[in-house]
Amino acid sequence: MFNKRYVNPWTVILAILSLVGLGAWVYQLANGLIATGMRNVVSWGLYITLFMFFVGLSAGGLIVSSSATVFNIKQFKPVAKPAVLLSSTCIIVATLLIFVDLGRPDRFLNLVFHPQFNSPLIWDVIVIGIYLVTSLVYLYSMTREEPNLKNIKVLSAIALPVAILVHSVTAWIFGLQIARPTWHSALMAPLFVASALDSGLALLLLVLIGLNQFTSFKVDKKLISTLGGLLAVFIAVDVYFVFSEILTALYPGEEQLMGYLTLMLSGSLAPFFWGEIILGAVVPFLILVVPKNRLKSSLMLLASGLVVVGVLFKRIWLLFSSLLLPLIGLAPGVTLGAYQMPETFGQAATPGIWATVGSYAPTWVELAIVVGVCAFGALIFTVGTYFFLTPVQTAEALPKQGGAVSAT
Amino acid sequence: MTKKYGMVIDLKRCIGCHTCEIACKLENDVPMGMYWNRILTEGGKYMDAPKGEYPNVQRGYLPLACQHCENAPCVKVCPVAATYKSEDGRVLINYERCIGCRYCMAACPYNVRVFNWQEPVRIPDFDYGSADTPKRKRGIVEKCSFCEQRVNKGMQPFCVEVCPARARHFGDLNDPSSEVAQLVRTRKGEQLLEDRGTKPQVYYVR
Ligand code: SF4
Ligand code: SF4
Repeated sequence: MFNKRYVNPWTVILAILSLVGLGAWVYQLANGLIATGMRNVVSWGLYITLFMFFVGLSAGGLIVSSSATVFNIKQFKPVAKPAVLLSSTCIIVATLLIFVDLGRPDRFLNLVFHPQFNSPLIWDVIVIGIYLVTSLVYLYSMTREEPNLKNIKVLSAIALPVAILVHSVTAWIFGLQIARPTWHSALMAPLFVASALDSGLALLLLVLIGLNQFTSFKVDKKLISTLGGLLAVFIAVDVYFVFSEILTALYPGEEQLMGYLTLMLSGSLAPFFWGEIILGAVVPFLILVVPKNRLKSSLMLLASGLVVVGVLFKRIWLLFSSLLLPLIGLAPGVTLGAYQMPETFGQAATPGIWATVGSYAPTWVELAIVVGVCAFGALIFTVGTYFFLTPVQTAEALPKQGGAVSAT
Repeated sequence: MTKKYGMVIDLKRCIGCHTCEIACKLENDVPMGMYWNRILTEGGKYMDAPKGEYPNVQRGYLPLACQHCENAPCVKVCPVAATYKSEDGRVLINYERCIGCRYCMAACPYNVRVFNWQEPVRIPDFDYGSADTPKRKRGIVEKCSFCEQRVNKGMQPFCVEVCPARARHFGDLNDPSSEVAQLVRTRKGEQLLEDRGTKPQVYYVR
């Protein structure tokens, strides 16, 4: 079933990037996680940030597409296929990101053989498993020659709550931690679902516009505009949650919590926090509320792109705001856990292994792995597009294809 | 009654000499770049800096290692039960099972867990720990175990043994006549970050 259609500059570039990422991962395996920028104070980094991000992207897309079937919103039905394909891809990417973050990936089967059910991480493993299977079966049954409408209805009714759950559980990984002041909040799960909705829908819009541009899969402009309006609503909900969360933390002016908030509002995380609020929410919202703008592909691209980047920024300030400051910040601090054997002994024999405040910057290894994983995701999606969305058109398949797409 | 091992650290006696810190490193074969047991300076910005303003200055220390919490967040979050609460109340790690997800590090309020980011480096270049100290490799988490290899044999943790100021006491908190239980009772033992509800089994008395 492999033919020339699959080999073009785009897929070749993606394949090369994936291989580069694989190479970087092998390097990381050979050297240990010392190859990353993570150390003992900031013990999670880019991988976990992007894990949250991709679970969100995935859940958001699926929530929108399955609600089309569940609530029988006829208009949205044409986007169901690309949406489910997109969410399956994103959840695979998220799983890979957890995998590359493990210190002992060779032992990952312990998750299956020795699960400890108190751990939100195990809940996540279970829900992601169910979620992946559901979306794949859902995708399969939608793209069959003669889709069984009843099955699809049942599957979407399962997919919707599972998608909400998958992102809530991911939120609880963080939100249940009493040790981390900016994570420990009951609002964490709703907040995550809200950002899943806006980032997932925004990514879906990007993909739809791309499909319109580059493939024979066409989506009506009017539908894109309607989805754009929905996106504006989701952005507003997201900002509302963030505001409520920050206000609740800020108002008491409690000293310790203020330390973390200062980091976000005016410290090292401020570019990400304000970047999210202004570039990721205010600007796209202002673009999207004007109905005329929603008919222009370029403006839709800009707005959706900004939303996706904005939510990525949010993941960054969310994760690091809690990790950067140890609760007990007394000197000399926490030991970072890395040691370089000095060339000669002397002063250099006592390198700085202490820190009272964390710091983190991804290394090129992390960046290469992340780019590789994302490229791999894009590759899966592209091949999936060829396979499911725009199958090679034989004479008799043509009308059917056209029929499905124009059923708006 | 089952045992509940715990420790009492007398901050009035601690002189900040770091003996226990180094002894712990030796006994437990802790690699370079990390400590299981750290001596923090209370107040000042730097190690050994006094707190307050001259002439009203004061110097104090806070030895910090795993608190062996009764309600341990790290035990709850470990997805593979590599970190567990032993019958006698110690929080221990099964180093052969840990997958290196570092969730426990995010969950611990005291930042006492350390990760082997690299192949462990040792100076001098051999395993200087006691022979029966569990071996750890790259890619897993480790922390104070109340010297499991010693306590299992009925000995005291090494830090308690070596402290020249006799600031450290170890024993069964559930036994009202034990030294630790008496100290907690009579000298009003305090727990670190009590508001987090982790119920540390390490108490500090002043
Ligand atoms: S101090 Fe940290 S590592 Fe030790 S038991 Fe408590 S939560 Fe776990
Ligand atoms: S790093 Fe190891 S001990 Fe810590 S939570 Fe993960 S598996 Fe458990």
